Amino acid sequence: MALLTKEIILSALKEVNDPELPISLVDMGMIYGVEVEGGDVNITMTMTATGCPAIDFIKEDILEKLESVEGVSSVDIEVVWSPAWTKEMLSEDGVYALKALGIAV
Amino acid sequence: MTDKDNKDSELIEKINRGHIVESEEEMTPGYKKALIVILTVQGDTELMSAPSYYLAAKDAPNINSRIAVSAIIQDELGHANIAYRLLEDIGVDKRQLVYGREPNKFKNPYGFDQPLENWAEMVVANGFFDRAGITLLADIHDHTSYGPWKRALVKVGKEELLHLRHGETWMKRLSRAGGAAKEGLQRAVDWMFPMTIEWFGLPDDLKKHNDQLEYKLKGYTNDELRQLWMRKVVPLCEKIGIKVPAHHTEESDRYDLEYEFPLQYDPDSKKWLFDEHITWEQVFDRWRNRGPYNERFVEMIQGNKNSPFSGINWLS
Repeated sequence: MALLTKEIILSALKEVNDPELPISLVDMGMIYGVEVEGGDVNITMTMTATGCPAIDFIKEDILEKLESVEGVSSVDIEVVWSPAWTKEMLSEDGVYALKALGIAV
Repeated sequence: MTDKDNKDSELIEKINRGHIVESEEEMTPGYKKALIVILTVQGDTELMSAPSYYLAAKDAPNINSRIAVSAIIQDELGHANIAYRLLEDIGVDKRQLVYGREPNKFKNPYGFDQPLENWAEMVVANGFFDRAGITLLADIHDHTSYGPWKRALVKVGKEELLHLRHGETWMKRLSRAGGAAKEGLQRAVDWMFPMTIEWFGLPDDLKKHNDQLEYKLKGYTNDELRQLWMRKVVPLCEKIGIKVPAHHTEESDRYDLEYEFPLQYDPDSKKWLFDEHITWEQVFDRWRNRGPYNERFVEMIQGNKNSPFSGINWLS
């Protein structure tokens, strides 16, 4: 069995979109950290707003995606609010995608 | 044929060749009138969902779901503003529309004259009513001949998908929870399913003339839209073990209702009287007489006329 790595988790998360926008959580800059120990995955992340209406959906989407990744036995998601998300955290692809949607960044 | 009819047929012919109307100058009086009606229905429907959802938000079972409903309410008010803003561009007074009309002049569906009285009804509203909204608006986005509307609906459609997801996710959760939660969900579906079926309006064989289709303001007929809605809603309910009075028929690949439609409705008990068949004329009478929360919802938007803080007093 291939060894589970942080890179494998990040590339899976690249396929999990913000429920409101067709942009991945990684490109949104919402994923602050990924730790992998054997099959246990710990994710530290933020939301773009403390009153985010989609927190549950985002967590569900992450769990659903990572359940399908070979070698994952548990997933723990910790939502943190420091540092607060800003648009500077968007990746270059994220900025491009938002502009294409007509959202000023 | 009068000159007016000639202009109308010219416009219809152009539209059928794929022409997109961009400005008021291009419209015939008939086109403009039909556009005002359909945009007012959209705006009023979005607007009146807000007080309805607001009263149900207090039943949210946790802080995140309450935030989600608050966000949905904010979205709906934004969508109403988009529709009214489009009306403003063709000369309709937006402030008058919102603050100057009597409650019974709002053109929202009868479903939004009803109170949502618990969390199950709130999430079925997201799952059924918002699904109806998406069905209607996606058709308009894909087929409408009015360019500004088509473009405005991109954002509306994206946001409505989130409302729908909220509704369907919670319907699944309540069903999985079983017991009283599932029973409450079934009770909500029992009145809200026929309510949405009725929302799509007259069946095609009774609707002889349709301005909205002729001018291609929308693309699908009432029956087609009803089918599209059932195609999503019936399988969802079947999957989560919730009963609905409709099923898929293999031979025709259509969804068929298991009751004779339309029916009389008792708003006090929130029950459909399945053995009391009525005519569409009687349905329209019931709609015109309005449901129990029409006045209250409109007052929540306009404010109390006797209050100095009320928006209704901002009318100069």
